[in-house]
Amino acid sequence: MVFDLFSGKGESQIERIEQQIQEMLAACGRTIDIATDALFGRVAPSEVGETLRKSDRAVNRLEREIRRELVVHAGVRGASADIPAILVYMSIVKDIERLGDYAKNLWDVANAGADITGLSEFDRIQRDVAWVRELVDRTAKIFAERDAAAAQEALNEADAKLDEFDAMVIEQLTSDRPSREGVPIALVARYLKRISAHLMNVMTAVVMPLDRLDYWDEDKADRW
Amino acid sequence: MAESPATTERTGGVPRWLRPILVLGFLYLFLVGVKGLETGIKVFGVDAAERIFGYVSSPVAGLFAGILATVLVQSSSVTTSTIVGLVGSGSLSVAAAVPMIMGANIGTTVTNTLASLGHVRRGAEFKRAFAGATVHDFFNVFAVVVFLPLELATGFLSKSATAVSSLLAGSGSVAAAPGKSPIKAAIKAPVALIEGSLTDLGLHRGWVGSLILALALVSIFVALVFVTRNMRVLMAGRMEAGFNAVLGRGAGLGAMILGVVVTVAVQSSSITTSILVPLLGAGVITLENAYPVTLGANLGTTVTALLASLAADRPEALTIALTHTLFNVFGILAFYPVPLVRRLPLRAARALAEVATRRKRVVLAYLVAVFVVLPLVGIVVFR
Repeated sequence: MVFDLFSGKGESQIERIEQQIQEMLAACGRTIDIATDALFGRVAPSEVGETLRKSDRAVNRLEREIRRELVVHAGVRGASADIPAILVYMSIVKDIERLGDYAKNLWDVANAGADITGLSEFDRIQRDVAWVRELVDRTAKIFAERDAAAAQEALNEADAKLDEFDAMVIEQLTSDRPSREGVPIALVARYLKRISAHLMNVMTAVVMPLDRLDYWDEDKADRW
Repeated sequence: MAESPATTERTGGVPRWLRPILVLGFLYLFLVGVKGLETGIKVFGVDAAERIFGYVSSPVAGLFAGILATVLVQSSSVTTSTIVGLVGSGSLSVAAAVPMIMGANIGTTVTNTLASLGHVRRGAEFKRAFAGATVHDFFNVFAVVVFLPLELATGFLSKSATAVSSLLAGSGSVAAAPGKSPIKAAIKAPVALIEGSLTDLGLHRGWVGSLILALALVSIFVALVFVTRNMRVLMAGRMEAGFNAVLGRGAGLGAMILGVVVTVAVQSSSITTSILVPLLGAGVITLENAYPVTLGANLGTTVTALLASLAADRPEALTIALTHTLFNVFGILAFYPVPLVRRLPLRAARALAEVATRRKRVVLAYLVAVFVVLPLVGIVVFR
């Protein structure tokens, strides 16, 4: 470990934190895959429960590591510490960590015995999950490249998708179908919405000023 | 955050490539300062200097003088380098300098204790930060309590240092080869030039000596400040990596080596120990894990005195610098390997932090009493 002092070019550890954020997003992507495999009946929920929890624990561990590293960065750099970057990372690692939690919630729906494979919304939910899964990868790429144009495009797309998820929840609230059908659909739509919203929060770091992080979905007129 | 933060590392306006050159330049100025100290004393008259240091000829007074001087300049490196210069000039004996060096070790702990005050309004955080800061104080005080009487009774530290110093002289090392070293020749030239210029002005020798002494002290202080400042920027990334590794893997020899390496690199134990304070306050490092880093910093800071001895002609300068190193090595051997003994400074620091968190006045009383009143009274009473 002390040899770390002599190795490399001595760049800021912010580079390392960037890599860890990518690792977190990749791990969240895997957690969502495991959860939705269970939800879509591809595997038995009990079979993948431990793998899913392990993957989520890896995300949590990375979140704590990043926080510690940010404190070290501030302590070592003192007045020259990159304070805005520290605040951004503190904010977005929390958002990324929540992705894992919502993925677990999706698995919980499957583990509770819900079967959505025979429902009329199944194809649509499969498409939505594929879209959310792709959004995870897009977010990782956009954040790594600080691609503002791609971020704005993805944010607009996701913003519209949030409305669709909301509509799906409201549709279940007002329908007369049995709760064993309506509740899982509403929960899944709700969790997909939260995953999308947290990914949007991460992307706001690329296009929004620090004080407006997480506020993409409010004050639409002031957005730009 | 349109740009990757990794691309926005701040360098304080000085190009990175220039900083190593600046460090070398300031190290040269530092050595010139130490040489100037030696020359200034000689011009001033060794007798006069002996009269001044006669006030602190008692070991206890010397110890307190070391504490007070270090508190005033906020740098044990400045104090120990000055002591090395004085020993090198022959105006201060090794025996009289040993307690001063030990005092400098205690005095330097005030900086991170002051740093911990930044957390004073937040109870739990302050308790951790203050304990982390004062564990350094307790280690140094305990080491002095054990080793100063032993040194006074047996001279084991200075004798060991003399033996190592003779060994180095035998090996023909740079520090122990007066007159032959190119470093010494390079640092003598500017000092001789200043001395000659001041003498040519027709000033009284006392004034010439005083001016050289003043310039030397300023040079040492300024040089160390700027070496530290530049090295901190140059080493920041590696320091972060090192601290992250310690946080990830816990205490032990690795943490101690980290403390040594970082302190040698930035030439300041206060920087190393003050970095630990916010980490302790935030709870991302435990007192047990921070403690060996602190001990390593204590050891690493002795390199400055060893560097200073490069400028001195007398072998005693190297002896006192080595005494500083050996004092810290023996301190670590006494207070780290045995778990029961290791816990003593930790327990003392935690107990003080407990009281200080409940009664904030204790913090002020502790700082003023230990670092100002006690040294002042000690010097007056024991001189």
